[in-house]
Amino acid sequence: MKQVHLAHWACVTPLGAGLDALWRALLEGRDAFRPVRRFATDAYVNNLATCLPELDNPGKTTRLQTLLDMLPAASLPLPGDTLLFTASTKAGIDQLETRLRGGAARMNEILPAHLPEIVARRLAIPRVGRNISAACASGGVALCLAATRVAAGDAPCAVVCGLDLVTEFVFSGFSALKALSPTRCRPFDIHRDGLLLGEAAAVAVLADAAHLDRMGLESLGMVSGWGISSDASHITAPSREGEGLVRAVRQALKVAGIAPEHIAGIIAHGTGTVYNDAMEIEAFSRVFGNSAPRMAGLKGALGHSMGACGVIEALVAARSGRHALLPPTCGLQAPEPAVANQVSSSPQPLGAGCVLSTNSGFGGINAALVVDAVK
Amino acid sequence: MTMRCTVQGLGWVTTAGHGRRGEGRACVFTHGPLPKPPACASLAGGLRRFGRLDAYTRLGLAAIALALEDADLAKWNQKRFLGLVTATETGCFKTDEKYCHTMLPDGGRFASPNLFAYTLPNCMLGEASIHFGLSGPQFVVEDAGSDMLAGVRAGLDMLRFGLCDTVVAGVCNTFIESDTIAGRCPPGAAFFVLAKDSAGELSLDGDTLRWRDKPVASLASLVNAVGDTGRAS
Repeated sequence: MKQVHLAHWACVTPLGAGLDALWRALLEGRDAFRPVRRFATDAYVNNLATCLPELDNPGKTTRLQTLLDMLPAASLPLPGDTLLFTASTKAGIDQLETRLRGGAARMNEILPAHLPEIVARRLAIPRVGRNISAACASGGVALCLAATRVAAGDAPCAVVCGLDLVTEFVFSGFSALKALSPTRCRPFDIHRDGLLLGEAAAVAVLADAAHLDRMGLESLGMVSGWGISSDASHITAPSREGEGLVRAVRQALKVAGIAPEHIAGIIAHGTGTVYNDAMEIEAFSRVFGNSAPRMAGLKGALGHSMGACGVIEALVAARSGRHALLPPTCGLQAPEPAVANQVSSSPQPLGAGCVLSTNSGFGGINAALVVDAVK
Repeated sequence: MTMRCTVQGLGWVTTAGHGRRGEGRACVFTHGPLPKPPACASLAGGLRRFGRLDAYTRLGLAAIALALEDADLAKWNQKRFLGLVTATETGCFKTDEKYCHTMLPDGGRFASPNLFAYTLPNCMLGEASIHFGLSGPQFVVEDAGSDMLAGVRAGLDMLRFGLCDTVVAGVCNTFIESDTIAGRCPPGAAFFVLAKDSAGELSLDGDTLRWRDKPVASLASLVNAVGDTGRAS
């Protein structure tokens, strides 16, 4: 198997553009939640999300196109056979709302199957790829698939672009499911009461070290393990025992050829919903026993950006390993007793080892990535 | 590296009807409304909600059920580590529309949580996993390629990379009226049960899929070629 290095190409989040700005904001414990302006929220359980102000009134263009236009203009000297994976749950679904309200809509943005064409054009990637849809684990699954293809030598390079928007479609849905927090997002807090949404786009490049060098990209670390599994027992609720996440993590450790004690830290999915976080706590307890590593959840700062979150979290996991520092879990006040020694509202130093990034989604999908940081 | 596998099961539902291996029915994918999904024995009883599920989930479940029945894998006592992957272009667009119609009036006050849960195309795979006890890797490849083979290729890749030893892989697209949105892929669903086998007749080398060493041009041609082989005894 070839070594697969992970590099940051671009990211646009409500906490800043680029991984450096995001990393600084995360370490400062900032969050980006603001009242939503782009649709009325009177009927919903909360009015907060992390939105990019530039997307509130996109004018003659669309939110999706505006988000893509916020990515850096410069293209990379990518090999011609670079693979492209996009990861989005609903792409430009706001265009369906526009159409059904009688407005002029860009219908090609609605189907995520057409998203890779749009992204390939924007990023000047020669080959059109595919969108990976695995609910809130889409970004994590796309990274796993990209890593397998590069490791197998199918292509020297893969680009993974995760993105999703804050739309009334998704906001109202999570509100109707009672998954939206009426207060704020508090991953792994004993008083957590739901998730809050966010929007973002993040682009990661996976390649061997020589190709990254040629493209002028810096390796953040090696993706050394990956795992995907399912444990659906209910369409929107996770399995209480977390057996699917356990399998995904164990598979990732096996591929990486490491034991659980070699994991120094975890960037968990950490939605802030009662059941997701309880499932993760149970799963990590089963994998790591009494030596559970330090852990952080980013959604208390960035909201849940669905297709984008897996890509952002993997990049932050690599950065965490590189700096031997885990960002704080924003919103955390009273940690669940079972993880009181693992999570913190302050940055946590990490010992030597790899960092694990995990995602879980509706339909019982779980993805796990092991990132071995380049220090 | 060439990945080879055997086809242990096949099920399909298109505008022209439905079928499995050895039933002598030609599989044709054409644009137009789909018939009501067949009443599969393995979906009866255990899935009483079948009729209330959205069209995309019903279509996918029916084709997966036919494929698993063909492979003698529909009955189970313990969960099996089988992968599950589908390609789709139109996904659950019809459900998205229906959900929007519950969301738009009254400022979203009556947005349907039940419909919202099925606005993700992988939830069809989740329903299949629950009903048939599948616990392996699963995801949806959203792809507008006219050969409709992205799901089968992804399934073979799952075998190649050791993500699982057996995978249910195929395609699922519902019918969308042409005045709404232009889908390139015709409606219908077809799933194969594929098992890793170094002497298998289906192979993937790069992006080239071969059946009995001849390149496969489209999903329909693969379904018909495999369907003609008859059911494995």
